[in-house]
Amino acid sequence: MDAPHYVAARVQRALAEDERTVELGIRVDVRGNQIFLRGRVSAPERRLLIEDVAREAAPGLSVHNEITLVEVREPGEEEHL
Amino acid sequence: MTETRIAAVADIHMGEDLRGHFRPKLHGIENRAEVLLVGGDLTRHGTVAEGRVVADELRDLPIPVIAVLGNHDYHSDAEQAITAILRDAGVTVLDDEATILSLDGTTLGVVGGKGFGGGFAGKCASEFGEPETKAFVRHTRQIADRWRRALKELDTDHRIVLSHYSPVKDTLMGEPTEIYPFLGSYLLAEAADEEGADLIVHGHAHLGTEKGLTPGGIQVRNVAVPVIGSAYTVYCLNGA
Repeated sequence: MDAPHYVAARVQRALAEDERTVELGIRVDVRGNQIFLRGRVSAPERRLLIEDVAREAAPGLSVHNEITLVEVREPGEEEHL
Repeated sequence: MTETRIAAVADIHMGEDLRGHFRPKLHGIENRAEVLLVGGDLTRHGTVAEGRVVADELRDLPIPVIAVLGNHDYHSDAEQAITAILRDAGVTVLDDEATILSLDGTTLGVVGGKGFGGGFAGKCASEFGEPETKAFVRHTRQIADRWRRALKELDTDHRIVLSHYSPVKDTLMGEPTEIYPFLGSYLLAEAADEEGADLIVHGHAHLGTEKGLTPGGIQVRNVAVPVIGSAYTVYCLNGA
């Protein structure tokens, strides 16, 4: 089995370069045979797509999708500079 | 003279699946701000189709919209086409140049462009060694030079710099320090500090923080959507 370091790098690269994701902001940690995905995205479908691409890049490992959704609230108080 | 209210956002990363999602959040923006600045990464893959989605979301807003592109908008080598589509939709797209708005008796100058990386003073790349390294750093330096010239020529009550990449480390807090050189460059801040500006707005660093300051004391705001958690934030500049 590849060293966790290289597995994490491969998944991170796949997320950035795969046309389905092009996602640079996801943190990938590998612990034993488990992959943890952490970060924030704008839509639930993207969350699942990122998981799919990660799974393909590291077959056989179990993927923990801890990616959360960005909550876009109403603009708050203005700031006076 | 009254305050000038600047709405700003970056990294909206539009795709077909988000069509129609962003525009409703801009409803009533004309009551909150005089201008909307959009700091790059308008798309995910930089395709013409995504550019059209962005254009439709920003088209015919009741206030002027000024934008720059980000690294994602360059991914498919369609940056010029995306720029043209946005301009057709009435968006002012800055590519290392200035635009001037007259807002209720106050003039606002905005100098903007994508910016680029290289890192921050003491821990940055320099134009040394292989041609690839030199080209990387030269790209940033040439951008900073164009911003410096544009700022120098700008004789307005207020001056804002609109970038995608960050000019300072402050607003990168939360990002891994190892990737700072890919998130911005001090050369961008240095150009603004030399010529003076009221505010620098940028995006790119999704894990960063909102507020920072250049070494020369210019306020810097990271308005990437994941950072501000809203469709835009509003900054008020005092009457000149």
